[in-house]
Amino acid sequence: MSDDYLRFEGVTKQFGPVPVVAPTDLSIGRGEFVAFLGPSGCGKTTLMRMVGGLDTPTSGRILLEARPVGGPDRRRGMVFQSYSSFPWQTVAENIAFGMRYRDDMSPQEKTASVAHHLALIGLEAFADHYPNRISGGMRQRVAIARTLAAGSEVLLMDEPFGALDALTRERLQVELRRIQAHEAKTTIFVTHDVEEAVFLADRIVVFSQRPARVVAQVDVTAVLGVERSLDLRESRPFFDLRNDVLHLIRHETGDPQ
Amino acid sequence: MNPLFTFRGKPSTTVEILCGAGFALALIGVWEAASDLGWIAPTFLPSPSRVAVAGWGLLTKQHLLWHAGVSTLRVWVAFLIAAAMAVPIGILMSSYRIVGASLEPTIDFIRYLPVPALVPLSIIWFGIGEETKIFLLWLGTFFQLVLLVADDARRVPHEYVEIARTLGGSSRAVLTDVVFRAMGPTLVDNLRITLGWCWTYLILAEIIAADSGLGYVIWSARRFVKTPEVMAGVVVIGIIGLVTDQILRAFHRRLFRYL
Repeated sequence: MSDDYLRFEGVTKQFGPVPVVAPTDLSIGRGEFVAFLGPSGCGKTTLMRMVGGLDTPTSGRILLEARPVGGPDRRRGMVFQSYSSFPWQTVAENIAFGMRYRDDMSPQEKTASVAHHLALIGLEAFADHYPNRISGGMRQRVAIARTLAAGSEVLLMDEPFGALDALTRERLQVELRRIQAHEAKTTIFVTHDVEEAVFLADRIVVFSQRPARVVAQVDVTAVLGVERSLDLRESRPFFDLRNDVLHLIRHETGDPQ
Repeated sequence: MNPLFTFRGKPSTTVEILCGAGFALALIGVWEAASDLGWIAPTFLPSPSRVAVAGWGLLTKQHLLWHAGVSTLRVWVAFLIAAAMAVPIGILMSSYRIVGASLEPTIDFIRYLPVPALVPLSIIWFGIGEETKIFLLWLGTFFQLVLLVADDARRVPHEYVEIARTLGGSSRAVLTDVVFRAMGPTLVDNLRITLGWCWTYLILAEIIAADSGLGYVIWSARRFVKTPEVMAGVVVIGIIGLVTDQILRAFHRRLFRYL
């Protein structure tokens, strides 16, 4: 695992006079699942959007395989919390949209890929349903499948499960971890939910209040291992790690509460 | 529980249609009674039956269908020209802020000019032929429609655009594959509503300078105080409007099944 797959070098961001991201240096390895954890509105989403090319750093640079990232492209795919799937397309069409701008695949390959990704997210039976006829959890799975179908190497997820009920969220977390093990995509997962970050991530990067500054990094895999099942959530190590991270957040992020 | 009088309840479609037709028929019944009983002088409000007879007369002796066809054609020609211009320009105004910033003050200014005030100017420019009518209708709809289209496009969630960008879509591809598709339902709704405005300006145009069309029929009947004919002409416009609207609604339902 090369540590230099994705590098932040002194990255900052200012919106007008407001500093949103303080100088940030960070390395993410290929295939690593990193959670950006921090208070709401702290700037962690902005940092992730800069990886996607949807915002540009005010100073510093972001390197993907030693090359500075430019505007958005297929290598770095986004999954949002809401408006994640196109309402005018069926589940299968939404997934196919991920390959719409790929000219490296034949129509037959694209059809096969839609079937493959439908199976991966377990929605074969819903292929012809429109998003308003399926649950919020299913819509998020569609969005993930579409990004995978696009052949993205880096998955950028902005609180993708934030609007789901607790049970659905747990199920999707297990599923995302399974998909991640299968597809080995480098993932940045933005969340303010400590348990979610601990359960999903190989590593947690804890950010301060705005402007976002890295206050701690937690190697989750070293404690919990790579395999994550629902049982893990009730285990002692999970519980302890969760408490440690919560403690970090309370005392290190400068949260006024 | 009976859904008829439940707050925000949903009665069946059949019940809705029956209620709509029932109210219209009841209104016609009251009108007929008021005229037959002599409450209102027939010169002001002739009974529905007399209006129907007058309408039949117009239909058989005065080429009512031809006039209706001429009016409908004028409305659609002007409306299609306005829409064909407003849709791309409106989308560009929302997609490139500089286009919006450049055009919006001028459009806002023209939008507030009352169309009737521009009739004399239009006659000076185009004479009293078809050009004047098309111009007035276009004037009344284009400037309203272009702003509605720009707003529709602005309301497309930015997430859709960003998703398409990170899937490798170019600006142009995002415009046609995402923005245009996402705004489809509100766009068709706004087109349907502005088509209705076209009829308002059409009658104005046909009253002022025309020898054909429903406005002309109504206005000539007025000169001889043939109130039943005037009302028959108005009713025909209403019927055309009702039918057009229903067709466009059905089209909307077919096109946007996913709603």
